[in-house]
Amino acid sequence: MKQFTIAAIILGGMAADSAVAAPPKGDAEKGKQIVSQICTACHGLDGNGTDPTNPEFPKIAGKQPEYLLKQLKDFKAGKRKSDIMSGIVSGLSPDDMTNLAVYFAAQKSKPSVQKNPELVESGKKFYAEGSPDSGVPACSGCHLPDASGTDKYPHLAGQHAAYVFQQLKRFASGERDNDRGLVMQSLAMRMSEQEMKAVSEYIMGMK
Amino acid sequence: MKKHVLSLIVLLMPLSVLAAPPQQPKAEGIESPNYVWNADKGEKKEILKLKGNAERGKEAYQGCQGCHKPTGAGIPDGTYPQLAGQHASVLIKQMADTREGRRDNPKMFPFAGKHVVTPQEIADIAVYLQNMKIPRDNGKGPGNALALGKDLYSKDCLTCHGDNGEGNAGKFYPVLAGQHFKYLAREIRDIRDGRRRNANPKMVKVVKDYTGAEAEAVADYMSRLLMPERAAEK
Repeated sequence: MKQFTIAAIILGGMAADSAVAAPPKGDAEKGKQIVSQICTACHGLDGNGTDPTNPEFPKIAGKQPEYLLKQLKDFKAGKRKSDIMSGIVSGLSPDDMTNLAVYFAAQKSKPSVQKNPELVESGKKFYAEGSPDSGVPACSGCHLPDASGTDKYPHLAGQHAAYVFQQLKRFASGERDNDRGLVMQSLAMRMSEQEMKAVSEYIMGMK
Repeated sequence: MKKHVLSLIVLLMPLSVLAAPPQQPKAEGIESPNYVWNADKGEKKEILKLKGNAERGKEAYQGCQGCHKPTGAGIPDGTYPQLAGQHASVLIKQMADTREGRRDNPKMFPFAGKHVVTPQEIADIAVYLQNMKIPRDNGKGPGNALALGKDLYSKDCLTCHGDNGEGNAGKFYPVLAGQHFKYLAREIRDIRDGRRRNANPKMVKVVKDYTGAEAEAVADYMSRLLMPERAAEK
């Protein structure tokens, strides 16, 4: 009996490990109920963010569920710091977070309106080529040419410029350091403020 | 009171230290009397034992293609070298040398270190790249000293790197065909001058008296070499 229990535990552990690689499975309806109570004021019921100019209200609709779940867990564990989000996530269970990730991932990201179209051309070039001189890889390498991302690198298309710019600044200063292998931090440190502004503007207009 | 404030600051200090991207370590290279080129040890040896998988390599390569491009071709100005069709063994050795700090590349290191790419992923990426077609539109030189370049190549390079710049996978000699002229010229100079610390001492000897013009002539000739396509590995 004991042996069976041990085997079951080992098997269970393996299942949990393999579940890390698979997309999280959850109940979007349950997620929606939580959204309507605690997320909607800033992120909107559909996850498109209620104020594009406020960097604290990012668009999270249509992001990879793996990414959303990781961010929620990181906020809860203090690995990603935010005075607002740390309070919000403190009452969420692991299931709640999975349900939220699944819900927001299933929402449709709506196009944003660019505010500074004059930056778009240089932002587009930066997104596609990076900066070979300072050693910044092209954004398109990991986040893909259409910014749709993968399970490792989040979807960015249409994200509010104010939020992208703020996050790039935080990566550059080291204030945000929950990125895998500190890759974002490494490259943001090599970007000029002008490059950050331009690429943020370009990303905001991507669909 | 002041003391309390001080001790509070000291207590808080570890919390305020921000995580910084890892810096490239430094291993003994050609400048050291103990240097052995391509020593049979370290991470290279471990990775060579792994079976690479091209399909997984395609996914892992995403972290590389921001610089080296989805085609593996890098950029013609030579800032980022061409990697498509390179021998897996060479790619693995160069990655291991960069990670262990024998090939200095502080720009690349944060995207290629052990905190970002696993040994298995390196084995996978190496097969994926080796299977790729060598592009023909690589950066070429000015073409004004190709006869000199050919002479130098035949005399100094051909024995190891082959008639068509195909290198030698078993000996870890790289493919040169399809490589960007500016990258080749830079590496020859760096090898000559001891800046490429993982260089083969035999090659240093060969190029040690090269002038800048000779380095460019042979690099130009190499950049125009065409080698037969190889069969893809799974």
